[in-house]
Amino acid sequence: MHKTKQKLSLWEHYLTKEIGIEFKACLYFFCILFFYCVYKLVCGIHEAEILHMTEMIFLTYFMGYIQVYLLSNFDEAEHLGRKEWIFMLLCTLVYTLFSYLFSWFDRNLAVSLGFLFYVLTMYLCAFMVYKSKRKIDEKLLNADLKAFQERGQHE
Amino acid sequence: MKYTIKQILSGEDELILKYKKLNPDVEHILQFLNNEQEKLNSYDDKTLIRLEPSDILYIESVDGKTFAYTMDKVLRMDYTLYRLEQLLKDIRFFRCSKSMILNIDKVKSLKSLPSNRIDAAMCNGEHILISRTYASDFRKRLKGGAHYA
Repeated sequence: MHKTKQKLSLWEHYLTKEIGIEFKACLYFFCILFFYCVYKLVCGIHEAEILHMTEMIFLTYFMGYIQVYLLSNFDEAEHLGRKEWIFMLLCTLVYTLFSYLFSWFDRNLAVSLGFLFYVLTMYLCAFMVYKSKRKIDEKLLNADLKAFQERGQHE
Repeated sequence: MKYTIKQILSGEDELILKYKKLNPDVEHILQFLNNEQEKLNSYDDKTLIRLEPSDILYIESVDGKTFAYTMDKVLRMDYTLYRLEQLLKDIRFFRCSKSMILNIDKVKSLKSLPSNRIDAAMCNGEHILISRTYASDFRKRLKGGAHYA
């Protein structure tokens, strides 16, 4: 019984991580796609290439795994320390490098540089969103704690 | 009220209370006995201390030994964490990790940490980490669910 519960918790643990990666991949794919679409529109092109979008999806999934399993999930970190900044810059550079290699922005250096700053901003925004989410959660948790303790006093 | 005290050489200690009708004296004794039964044996060095569960901040198991932490003392206990979980079938106590049981009433504040973990600041200033595995049950407990079975 205990072993089954433990196995279930391991499965749940794995699933939680996978959902986290899935969420990250979707979030970053959407952000990158937005930049890509704006670039295409500015160039007067009204179509997005399926190949580029497929590359984006695979890359964001790949980066999601790297972030969660190798880079301490830095965008969900408690504080932005030196380690988090290094990981953030590293991932930003990887995204920019692949965007150049896959020719998402026609290997235009100026646009690639703009994309680099965009990805960095994207990570900073994600960090702030996760932090705000935890702040709200903390408020709810403490309200629940207070209610629990008050219930105990009345019993 | 008449009472008889008899020392026995073998068998289990037993206390029999006979009464015709519940009266304040009997009620007082019953209340004392009930409170005494809830207390846990703990040791400060070799001195036995009957510990009131509500005085416990948390219980920790270290290298197979169990310790109860109160505001000013660390007391050794002869129970395993599993046994304590059974004895403290009170929703105020929560198994917050493999090696720890937490008294929720002694938590001062909570902090939400990355990866769905929770940091519990105790009223003596110590911090206890509630791991992701136990965090969701802890949330349920706070909301009034997930009691001990």
